Amino acid sequence: MKKLVILFTFVAVLLVVSACGKKEETTANKTSNEGGKTVIEYWHVNAETQGGKTVDELVKEFNAQSETTEVIAKFNPDMYKGLMQNLQAEAAAGKAPAIVQVGWSFLNYFANNFEYSSPQAIIDQYFPEDKTFLEDYFLSNVLALAQGPDGEQIGIPYSLSTPVLYINRDLLKEAGLDENGPKTWEEVKEFSKTIKEQTGKFGVYIQQPADNWATQALLESNGAKMITDGKATFASEEGIKAYQLWADMVLEDQSAPNLPWDQGIQSFIDGNVAMLYTTIAQRSNVQSNSQFDVAAIKSPAWEGKSPKLPAGGAMLAITAKDEEQRKAGWEFMKFLYSVESVAKWTEGTGYVPPRKDVAEAENGLKDFLAENEMMNAAIEQMDGVVPWTSFPGDAGLQAEQLLLDVRDQILGGSISVEEGLKATEQQINELLQ
Amino acid sequence: MSALTTGVKRFNRENWKAYFLLFPSLLIFAFFMFWPFIYTIYLSFFDWNMISPTKEFVGLQNYIDILTDPKSYNIFGNTFIYIAILLVLNCVVPYVFAFVIDMVLKRFKGFYKGALFMPAFISLVVGSILFTWILNPVSGPVAIILGWFGLEMPIWSKMDGWVIFVLSLITSWKVFGYNFIVLYASINGISRELIEAARLDQVPLWRIFFQIVLPMSSATGIYVFIITIVQGLQYVFTPIKVITQGGPNYASSNAIYHAYHEAFVLYRTGHSAALSILTMVIFLVLLFIEIKFVERGIYYEN
Repeated sequence: MKKLVILFTFVAVLLVVSACGKKEETTANKTSNEGGKTVIEYWHVNAETQGGKTVDELVKEFNAQSETTEVIAKFNPDMYKGLMQNLQAEAAAGKAPAIVQVGWSFLNYFANNFEYSSPQAIIDQYFPEDKTFLEDYFLSNVLALAQGPDGEQIGIPYSLSTPVLYINRDLLKEAGLDENGPKTWEEVKEFSKTIKEQTGKFGVYIQQPADNWATQALLESNGAKMITDGKATFASEEGIKAYQLWADMVLEDQSAPNLPWDQGIQSFIDGNVAMLYTTIAQRSNVQSNSQFDVAAIKSPAWEGKSPKLPAGGAMLAITAKDEEQRKAGWEFMKFLYSVESVAKWTEGTGYVPPRKDVAEAENGLKDFLAENEMMNAAIEQMDGVVPWTSFPGDAGLQAEQLLLDVRDQILGGSISVEEGLKATEQQINELLQ
Repeated sequence: MSALTTGVKRFNRENWKAYFLLFPSLLIFAFFMFWPFIYTIYLSFFDWNMISPTKEFVGLQNYIDILTDPKSYNIFGNTFIYIAILLVLNCVVPYVFAFVIDMVLKRFKGFYKGALFMPAFISLVVGSILFTWILNPVSGPVAIILGWFGLEMPIWSKMDGWVIFVLSLITSWKVFGYNFIVLYASINGISRELIEAARLDQVPLWRIFFQIVLPMSSATGIYVFIITIVQGLQYVFTPIKVITQGGPNYASSNAIYHAYHEAFVLYRTGHSAALSILTMVIFLVLLFIEIKFVERGIYYEN
């Protein structure tokens, strides 16, 4: 009996030790497989429920039709940050995958810290027939999302999302308002007030997650700039005016609830808030759970101005090191940007297609858009897309956090818009120095 | 001389088995407790963003930053408010419940025990999401019921004070059951003859509780007391993360959540590590006070 116990313990110890020492076997070192195909790695962040299935499907399809290249898709947990960390480790080991997804907020960090090839350079060098691929198929403001400060094309936009205004038509009708919803932010305020007075429900909820994406859309559409020449400049006259409208709706009219993001979306879906300003990525949630006549319309503009909408999502960049890998990388990327692949990507993830000609094409999204009309709002406003501001340098994230802090203070009524924004702008500029 | 012989005895033939058997858990402890702890101390002297390959040595700057930031005091204040509320909800209330169910109630004891323990099985993430919905101040069921009586629910997730209370409530939903069962077992183990004798003497219930039950179950009580403070603060992390992310303006953040926030949201590992170490020091002091003053009055049966 005693011997048995000892034996058992011994086995247990062995198991623990071997589990700790076990090394993951990777295929990274393998550059070509038995069939002579070039093997490349594609790093993505899409978990099973966030488009991971579509990634696998696309990769499988590509591998089946390519005679020269085999792609291995590698999932990186913890979104774009997780991928950056893994890429760091890989780079430290002197290796690199061929294609990676880079979130917009990591654009500058990626460009400054990693080796990559501009897609146009690879095209020019090896694929002269694709010379005009980028300019032919992408809007110039969309391409600009993936450009560095000096205008160099670092990657190609792939996953795109923009904010839209979801509306509860039943509530708008009940309040005697135009069921097509407001066109401008000034109208949003009036609509909300009327809704509050007529129905007792809230008028609008503007998303409040842990980022300043929607705030940027609101402010920059009014002509403010989050950053000018590396300095925070959002506390301009236009910026304060835009923020004031939001604060007034929350504090003065009480027609906009001050809620965390999930509760805000939930209250719209329950029919207690008539309009919801949030990302198009929430479309399937809103669409499948709302019990009323729901629609999505384009982001409101400011009277006489055109909207400027920050893009959420990621780009694809080529990090392959040698010629064969780079060539194979572009071959795969070109496949991913084909009309069919982009259409699949949109259907699987809810992102807006980054390239032209997908929405109308028979083999593209024509049928899908007929069924999911709300998607159109996001596609139609693609010409207003601007880069999502990330504050430069190591203190960038802290700067973001300061903006979130002041949002809580302003909407909580503990500080005036002007005072809050000016103080925050100053603090951020001190940090950025 | 005698010390030496006991030292030798420690490694005699019987004892090696004990050490051998302890080895696996020591190994795990070393890997997952001691090593991270040492590494945290090390990191607290550096400025590092978790991604960059180089760490910059900054000496005590991280500690100075934290101690000069008014936000930190706010957060430590919140931490103590959480402790106070959790002590009431997860230590005092279950104590009373355990006493009432064991000694006062005559029927349905099994049902109460089961019902109160049930939430302990459910993940706190699930619970938090559930409560986000139930307590949605605009459209949740609680708001609707309050609406029937003409009451408006405060928008708790955006209000100082309220937010801490509601998050504590959500946490206690999960923790309550376990603490209750442990206290119940202890109270249940008190000799019935004592209680019966007291009852015959017409001793009122509140005196039975304070003068017999409380002292006789104090060994378990102190365990629950400490676990409430230590685990409670860690459990609160989940609803903070799921519901408020420390907002509005740090009003619901506690020391543990803020350490996470610094490290994994802002990537300031140095600040985070320094804050963790400071938190650890505060808890060590608390523990020291507890051992020095409270432990003495505890009754251990064996």
